[in-house]
Amino acid sequence: MSDVTPAISIRGISKRFGDVVAVDDLTIDIREGEFITLLGPSGCGKTTTMRIVAGFEDPDAGQILLRGDDVVGVPPNKRHVNMCFQHYALFPHMDVQQNIEYGLKLKKVPKDERQRQVADMLGIVRLEGYEHRRPGQLSGGQQQRIALARALVNEPAALLLDEPLGALDVKLRKQMQLELKRIQNELKTTFVYVTHDQEEALSMSDRIAVMNLGVIEHLGSPRDVYERPATPFVADFVGVLNAADLIVSSVESGRALMTVNERDRVIAPSEGLDVAAGSSVLAAVRPERIDIAKGAVDAGEGSRLSGTVAQIVYLGTLMQFHVDTSTDRRFIVHQLSSDASDAIDEGDEVTLTWPVEDTSILRVGA
Amino acid sequence: MNPAISKGGRRSLWGFFWLLVLFLYAPIVILIIFSFNDSELVSFPWLGFTTRWYHEFLANGTILAALRTSLFVASITAVIATALAIPASIALVRRRFFGKGLVSGLLLAPLVIPLVVMGISLLILFNAIGIPLSPYTAAIGHVVIALPFAILTMVPRLERIPAALEEASRDLGASAMTTFRLITFPLLSPALISAALISFTISFDELVISSFVLGEEVTFPVYLYSQLRLPERLPSVIAVAVVVLVMSVIVVVASEVGRFVSERRLESRTGMSADELGSLSAGKG
Repeated sequence: MSDVTPAISIRGISKRFGDVVAVDDLTIDIREGEFITLLGPSGCGKTTTMRIVAGFEDPDAGQILLRGDDVVGVPPNKRHVNMCFQHYALFPHMDVQQNIEYGLKLKKVPKDERQRQVADMLGIVRLEGYEHRRPGQLSGGQQQRIALARALVNEPAALLLDEPLGALDVKLRKQMQLELKRIQNELKTTFVYVTHDQEEALSMSDRIAVMNLGVIEHLGSPRDVYERPATPFVADFVGVLNAADLIVSSVESGRALMTVNERDRVIAPSEGLDVAAGSSVLAAVRPERIDIAKGAVDAGEGSRLSGTVAQIVYLGTLMQFHVDTSTDRRFIVHQLSSDASDAIDEGDEVTLTWPVEDTSILRVGA
Repeated sequence: MNPAISKGGRRSLWGFFWLLVLFLYAPIVILIIFSFNDSELVSFPWLGFTTRWYHEFLANGTILAALRTSLFVASITAVIATALAIPASIALVRRRFFGKGLVSGLLLAPLVIPLVVMGISLLILFNAIGIPLSPYTAAIGHVVIALPFAILTMVPRLERIPAALEEASRDLGASAMTTFRLITFPLLSPALISAALISFTISFDELVISSFVLGEEVTFPVYLYSQLRLPERLPSVIAVAVVVLVMSVIVVVASEVGRFVSERRLESRTGMSADELGSLSAGKG
């Protein structure tokens, strides 16, 4: 633990709506200047958490500290955080200049100072000269940038972004992801980003908090969350996952061996896990870690499963193979398109192999 | 054109439409014609064109006083009903609270309560608490019946103003009052104007409640009704009716045009971006 005061410290907050628990005793420290993403499916409590931080909902229990001060009960207009809304929420009866200077005007910043700051902000979001356009005359991406400028011009302790790219088309969304990251780097503002899109979370965040049913299941770097998911939910939600329920046959020098049949086996690192011969486990591997080959192939010391190709999907640079394996589970395998992958047809007998360290044991016991 | 309708069917539909139009507007047209007829009797034959009746009513102090009272009562009604409808519609659209259905029912109930019942109840109430009858008591009665219309005019407009706009304003540092002043009120204003005009119109031609709670000064509809007993006054009363009719048409048309223009302007600003609109119209082709 560092002794630096976090930008936002969320301590044990809970919120229920009627019988539904939206947020359940959630605790997280958000560091000054970091880009943190709350990632999860709809209804996981991520938006409620953000609205509690912004002041639009009151928690039933817990504390919110903004740079050390408890702000529970403080109205949103008195909190030093700003929000970017899903559908931008630009004021339709005001032009770009009036939208961006809205917060400054309320703080009684003099006119020429406001104009200078608006011009600066427009420079940062790369929309110089748009002062007198109306929101209705702007494209979705431009409106998003104005909304960003309107929030950032107030120099908030943290910027809260509620699925800000959700309404944009795929191409624009990718572009805006880079743009957001660039702006965040430039201003060093703390960004708290809410999304259900795991790709967005992985590509932009310093840290990701994966949420489910009102609790954080995993808090870590994108690589950590993707490669060493803490729970089956995290593994499944962050990217496609192949998982099978298996019984451990033996544990030896930090490796668990799960024999499927006389030829097929799965081997996983077992350090730090409470597994022994006879434990039932959920073992998982990412689609892009698996090698696929026609016929029976020797796997060396790694995992090996045989199966039948049920379906092949062409994804441009990737080929996606759906393979019915000897574990009774259908595995998905991603392979770069190549002559070798082209040679495989639906119905072929294939062998899947992958190294020991690419298997994760997600759960021990039923 | 709907291809499922035969040619004959189409013709009879048009016939039906014009019959309906005739049914709706013939009485008004006849009214206008007779207001220029040079005869004491409001009936055919046509005895020649005159503007006598118009001169007569302009010289008639009682008619003018009644019109003034009506304008006064209607203006008060418009202002109060609109002012009350603002917080009521905000509560109904924006707030979650226990018993919302009941509150909404209570606010809109005057729509279905017979005016006679309402008039008698108000009369008894004013007598019981000792308020003397006057144009003000009539205005109170009119507010009661105009309020549901004012609320029903504002609710749909408010529903189309995203709550996120108000939240964004709060988030940027504005208090609830400032947010109302700078965001909600300007965006709600077309509906405010409509609500005020509707309340005005409802009050202006209200007869039943007025006749119960009006006191000495009469409003125009009450005066009109009382004059029906005196046939020789009828032609000039008709002339006033025509003037009032023309004025109302001008007011209503002007307000609708104004509302349409401001709605269109808002629409082009809020709703969709240019490319979304483009793809929509492309899809229509």
